[in-house]
Amino acid sequence: MIQFQQVSKRYPGGFDAVKNLSFEIQTGELVFLAGHSGAGKSTLLKLIAGIEKPSSGAVLVNNQNVSRLGRKALPYVRRHLGLIFQDHKILYDRSVYDNVRLPLDIVGFDGREVKRRVLAALDKVGLSGKEKLNPVALSGGEQQRLCIARAVVHRPAILLADEPTANLDRDYAHDILELFKSFHQVGVTLVISAHDETLMADYGRRILRLKHGEFTA
Amino acid sequence: MKHWIRLNALALQRTVAAMVRHPLNHGLNLLVIAIAAAFPFGFYLLLSSVAAVTAQLPVEPQISVFLKPAAGSAEIGGIKELLAQDERVANARFVAKDEALKDLQAKVGSDDLLAGLTENPLPDAFLVTTRSDASAAALDALKTELAGRPGVDEVQLDSAWAQRLERLLALGRGLLEVIVVLLAVALALITGNAIRMQILTRRDEIEVAKLIGATDAFIRRPFMYAAAVQGLIGGLLACGIVVTALYWLNPAVTELASAYGQRFALHLPGPLEIGAVCLVTTLLNLVGAWLAVWRHLRRFF
Ligand SMILES: Nc1ncnc2c1ncn2[C@@H]1O[C@H](COP(=O)(O)OP(=O)(O)OP(=O)(O)O)[C@@H](O)[C@H]1O
Ligand SMILES: [Mg+2]
Repeated sequence: MIQFQQVSKRYPGGFDAVKNLSFEIQTGELVFLAGHSGAGKSTLLKLIAGIEKPSSGAVLVNNQNVSRLGRKALPYVRRHLGLIFQDHKILYDRSVYDNVRLPLDIVGFDGREVKRRVLAALDKVGLSGKEKLNPVALSGGEQQRLCIARAVVHRPAILLADEPTANLDRDYAHDILELFKSFHQVGVTLVISAHDETLMADYGRRILRLKHGEFTA
Repeated sequence: MKHWIRLNALALQRTVAAMVRHPLNHGLNLLVIAIAAAFPFGFYLLLSSVAAVTAQLPVEPQISVFLKPAAGSAEIGGIKELLAQDERVANARFVAKDEALKDLQAKVGSDDLLAGLTENPLPDAFLVTTRSDASAAALDALKTELAGRPGVDEVQLDSAWAQRLERLLALGRGLLEVIVVLLAVALALITGNAIRMQILTRRDEIEVAKLIGATDAFIRRPFMYAAAVQGLIGGLLACGIVVTALYWLNPAVTELASAYGQRFALHLPGPLEIGAVCLVTTLLNLVGAWLAVWRHLRRFF
């Protein structure tokens, strides 16, 4: 489902964020991405979503070379992805409801379907009844849940979560990971990054460990 | 198709909502657009009003051929024959100097003016009316030809003022073209800038939308609607400004014209002209908005 072929990313300025990475993630797999701050976790996830282009090598998603896609084609690939950003990218000028509906508006769902799906997604992440609130009124953990709801509302095949458990206490972090596990159980392919590896250990899943842009054992 | 209609309906609905939410900002933009469009439109109406009047003016030019005092009857006869045969001439009348003096006396209304004169200072003359379809070049040629005849002292082309007016109108039309082009560019820039402001207030939303799979068209759509609405209302406002100005100016213009014995009024814009103005402002707004969105979206993949 996701395949990296000798992928390197050099940012303007000459810094190599990831170096010569090759790996494959199968359809329906749940994979953790671990590594210190600055190891290249976010860069790797951005490469999958086509937000960054590799300096060399190829990134394949659904057998499509994401790095080669043009302006016109890329949006349609991204609609198969659910993205949870490290910096959240919540829009604070609108309600929780209107934040979550954005991916549906982009695709052009009709009003009733939008309502049904948004409420279902909010219910799934445990934010029922908070749809009219402004996101600033949510706690840190609840804001994270809002991001998850927005990422899954259009039922993507692949979910990429960048440090979804950052700044959360251990129990709350486990609640969030349980939520991801439930998506995994219905067949979604997941890549979840975190710098705290001990959290992942309990799940017995494959862990990709990054150190200064390279995999370690 | 259904999706496409829904996406458009949604975008239009949001556009109108945004305009209602920030009436002052949008109002000011509209005013600037309206004034920029009102200038060339008003100028155009002024020109077409003047052009309509000049089209009705009797443009059959007169040529006065003044003869030398020494000109004899043979020379006068030769000129008369020439004028009778010339295709450019509609009518030629010989005015003897005595007749001219009588005319002048009648006009002045007294003998005093001429009392001191021992002899008639006026020359014999031909008053020539040329055909109205004769070109300015043909008349010039005729003038030179007549001036070269023996016995002719001076030839005056009285239609010069009509030609001058015609040239002035041509200059006005040229000026109009320049103004239209300049203000069209200005209008596209102004609206582009207004749209750029709207883009900046929604930059976060645009970024997120781009990241999660919005097409450029999706991002562009609400701004294009905003520009179209802005252009349409701006165009209508421009017409309103012009019509108000004409109503206000017309009594004074009519009065001025009647003082010169002319019936003249600035004509009000018709529905076709109003439609054209709105179409142009709308298109220019769309161009400005498209450029503004394009510039902003360039930074995203
Ligand atoms: N846009 C950019 N321009 C230049 N350098 C960048 C850019 N983005 C990231 N980097 C650099 O690339 C390296 C990897 O960054 P990345 O964000 O992928 O790390 P990370 O593993 O996600 O770290 P963290 O856990 O702190 O989020 C860092 O050293 C960072 O400074
Ligand atoms: Mg990161």
